[in-house]
Amino acid sequence: MGSKDSIFPKARIPYGTWGSSFFPAWQMSAMAEVNIGQFAAEAMSYIMGKRDVPLSELDYLVSGSTIPWHWKFWNSPFLAHCAGKRVPGYHVEQACATGMKAVYLAAADVQGGAGDVVGVLTFDRTSDSPVGIFPERRSYERTIALSDVWDNFGFDPATGQAMMTTAGNAARKYKLDRKEVDELTFYRYKQYFNALETGMLKDVLVPLELLNLQGKPIGKIDSDAGVRSITMEALRAMNELDTCITSGTQTHASDGMATLLVTTSEKAKELSKRPEIDIQIISKTEVRTLPALMPEAPALAVKKILADTGLTMNDMTVVKDHNPFALNDAIFAKELNYDWHKMNNTGCPLVWGHPQGPTLTRIIIEALDETVRLGGGYALIFGCAAGDVGIAAIFKVTDGGK
Amino acid sequence: MTKQLRQSTLETIGLGTVHNIFSSGKLPVDTDSLVDQIFGQSGNRKSMVISGANGIVGAGKLMQLGSRLNGYGIPIIALDFPGAPDGIGPQYQGLAGSFGKQQADDIMSNVIRLNYDGSRLPAILKDLKPAFLLEAIPEILEVKKNHYKVFRENFENIEIRSVTSGFPASELGVGIAHPAFPHQINKVWEIVEPEPSDITKLFWSMGMIPLRVKDNWAFVLDVIFCGLTLSCLRYNQASNMPYWKIDKYVRKFMGPNPFRAHDVIGAKGANFLTWSCLEHLSKIYGDVYKPTPSLVERVASGQNWYPMNHLRPIINSAISGDEIDEFNTWVLGSLFQMTSLLIHENRSDFASLNIIGEVCAQFRQGVLASARSFGSEKTIEIVEKYHKLHPSAATNSWHRDAFENMDDNNWQQLYVNAEHDGNVGVITIGRESYNDDVNNELNRAIDWLKAENIDRVILTGDFHHTTQLVGADTSEFYPALSDTNEGYRVSYQWSLTARRFYDEFKNSVAFVNGKRCLGGMLELFMHCHYIVSLSDSDLGSPEVNLPVVPGMEMCHIPFRRTSSDNHSKLFKLLLEGRNVKGKDSTGWLTDFSGNMNECIQRCWTLASEGESAQARRIIEKDRVNVIFDDNLSITENKSILAARKAILDTIISSCSVGYSEAIDVQSRHSAEFMTTSHCKYGMVGSEYSKVSEV
Repeated sequence: MGSKDSIFPKARIPYGTWGSSFFPAWQMSAMAEVNIGQFAAEAMSYIMGKRDVPLSELDYLVSGSTIPWHWKFWNSPFLAHCAGKRVPGYHVEQACATGMKAVYLAAADVQGGAGDVVGVLTFDRTSDSPVGIFPERRSYERTIALSDVWDNFGFDPATGQAMMTTAGNAARKYKLDRKEVDELTFYRYKQYFNALETGMLKDVLVPLELLNLQGKPIGKIDSDAGVRSITMEALRAMNELDTCITSGTQTHASDGMATLLVTTSEKAKELSKRPEIDIQIISKTEVRTLPALMPEAPALAVKKILADTGLTMNDMTVVKDHNPFALNDAIFAKELNYDWHKMNNTGCPLVWGHPQGPTLTRIIIEALDETVRLGGGYALIFGCAAGDVGIAAIFKVTDGGK
Repeated sequence: MTKQLRQSTLETIGLGTVHNIFSSGKLPVDTDSLVDQIFGQSGNRKSMVISGANGIVGAGKLMQLGSRLNGYGIPIIALDFPGAPDGIGPQYQGLAGSFGKQQADDIMSNVIRLNYDGSRLPAILKDLKPAFLLEAIPEILEVKKNHYKVFRENFENIEIRSVTSGFPASELGVGIAHPAFPHQINKVWEIVEPEPSDITKLFWSMGMIPLRVKDNWAFVLDVIFCGLTLSCLRYNQASNMPYWKIDKYVRKFMGPNPFRAHDVIGAKGANFLTWSCLEHLSKIYGDVYKPTPSLVERVASGQNWYPMNHLRPIINSAISGDEIDEFNTWVLGSLFQMTSLLIHENRSDFASLNIIGEVCAQFRQGVLASARSFGSEKTIEIVEKYHKLHPSAATNSWHRDAFENMDDNNWQQLYVNAEHDGNVGVITIGRESYNDDVNNELNRAIDWLKAENIDRVILTGDFHHTTQLVGADTSEFYPALSDTNEGYRVSYQWSLTARRFYDEFKNSVAFVNGKRCLGGMLELFMHCHYIVSLSDSDLGSPEVNLPVVPGMEMCHIPFRRTSSDNHSKLFKLLLEGRNVKGKDSTGWLTDFSGNMNECIQRCWTLASEGESAQARRIIEKDRVNVIFDDNLSITENKSILAARKAILDTIISSCSVGYSEAIDVQSRHSAEFMTTSHCKYGMVGSEYSKVSEV
């Protein structure tokens, strides 16, 4: 088994000081009604309260989202106000990699001394995402209106291609078999429902009740609303939108938030209910692949991080990725010669949806929780992001109690 | 020689016992003589000065005292800095609402507004001959001291009282009269002075409630209220629960809204006062009172505790099960610890310590009564559990012995007292509304008098903590909204207590000595052999408008005590909910009405001599015929119509059986109506929803 020192030796993620909302699908919950920034900040405060973490401990806040929201200009200082602790901070955005980038930067801030306890708060509301109006004085269209979520998914201005086209391109490049992609999708659904039924997500997902303006409850966010069990027959019968792409083998837009803390080693021991567990960020890397081939970028990023660290896939206790397309996993399996059945044990965005900002944060939380449950080791987490980018990180969980 | 179950609170302000009032046939002091003593004879009156008169306290007290002294020819001087924003003008509307435009104009025309620069008094003040200064300037010790110095240099014998909430008299060099919010209407003043003064007695004679407290940094109200706020801030720190949500839980479990109160008073000033109080307390008592960083931050910013309108909360931070226990441990534990300090330091008499929480800080049950309901062992356990959550609180200012003697009469008689001279007893009620605590204490008071072989008794308000008796505490009905057994228990048990006044005494006299006596309190009084009322007091049964059905036998006892000629008046009283003046009630509802001293003397005569002084209106023990003439005012309000029908049914049913069975009939009817939708969506149910839904 290989080993590698952390790039941020001072930084730790205190076990259990984290949580995510469920991710209800586009327009399927009360979350579609709210200012997502305020919602996420209040939820962070509530979740940390449930974890017995006083937000008075917070020194700094790194927030992340991708879709414009009201008062985004004020970013982390505003969010910290809504959470109940006035601390400084900033906002980060890297499309679907936002969650991982926020965690990385929070660790860098701990390492750099910005604070002993840095909060990570990521969120997005794809429902009713805003339409931007852009004056384009040089263009034949003097004013351009852009629907933030759907128009961006449909058009990468650097390549002129849609997200879905990048998936079709990658499927053809790797000569993927539709049947395998359907089987992989069906398996991912089974993994998710098994995780729910066996309680593997109970320490990750926090039910939240939302209030209307009058202070009356308008709904509970207590499930990944919109996720339905799917049969193999149904998957096989779906229309192919591009090579290996059907409505079943790709993710769906959803709303949500996820939060965790990054702290010094001392603070991690103080704040975690299990101080004997030590969680470090070992490494993080990013690659940008050829134009319009986004789904292969994560596999390339993993290859790079393994090369950088000297670790191998055999060293990994938990492997988990952001897979907006099921074929991301199939390509990864081919490139790394890895059995895709062994990864994403507790679910993945392909199934539970993709609110963008918090997606990778939830993946990190699920992965770390699972690694602890399995007795520690390395967790490999990776995913793709707009612009044909792949991002990967390795976390190390040491259970000092064992 | 008067013997007391516990010391009368009236004695603590130098006004003797309540028994003395009746045995001497008059009140201990009167406003006219005290005005003469303090301000000089009519035609040559000296003036009263309120400094800081444009502030929230100064302006409020200017209205309260100005309206009460109106007609005495005492110039009221409102003194402030030239640039102070006008706080007096905005009071006018409220004044006109309470007294009518003409009287409001009279009151305002007696106010002389003067400016000063903080060091030199206006020359014209000499001509106005100030006799009494009520200082309400900012809470800065040296500024206050200089202020008194300037006044004393100019007016040697001037009486000075500070409204300070935190500085002891020993630091200021003047007496304290610390008023409770809201200042225009709250009658409570915490008084610090070596001996009860004429000023304090004047306040009492004008219908206010001066409560004697010990000279410490931060008086009782502030220790309780600021302490409660601090407990909530600490809970916020431990749990992240937002302030607005903590407020709702505190309201649900205890009554007050500490954070809303700060915002309503004005967060900038209130935050400072709370911080200042806690800061001083922490210097004396240690970290247990240390203000949290969140409070320090808001002192500087003056920011409200509730979110701004555009940030109305989205997440419902509700708690349940063990979390609620933990919440109560944080808040009650801290509150009980502070109470142990108040008791240990003998900050005031127990009844006053308790009532301050209720009448000044919105506690549904005073803090001592609350501890008593938990019992000694459980109260101590709560504090010790709190210390596990907040260990630094355990290091000092915890006096567990304060809770170890709860069987003592001071603990057991927080609201009701009894006194006697070996012949006539007096039972006094020191709580405006009737609840289980009052009921239990009444029974103990009766037991005590019986054990002392007293069979003549006067039942009345305590001439101090109560200025009116408003009826049942409707929060006691909350469990009854969904449980007829609970409704029956309340009605039946309270009625049994009331019946003791008729059944167990040779002569019992109820005296309505305040502005009003309504609902359950009037029902209680109905059970006495005689009822005496001030001519101007309002008597009434507002139950129909809530709506509820009266539960303490108002639906049959008055009918049993008067001829059928008067039944239509009783129907009007019960079915229209309109009050009747004491002077209009004699012969059919009461037995005598008059001015204060006439009533006091009559009570004494009736209690001492009974039937030989005046024939009793006896309670008919057999069934009585009632004749309903249906001459009521028209209403289309469905709840009122339903309540009228239910009350009428109760009257007919309970009068058509004997006295001994009627208690059951009345209790059953009252309990059954309590679970109807009319009650659920009426005042009691709505109030319950508001409090219980967090």
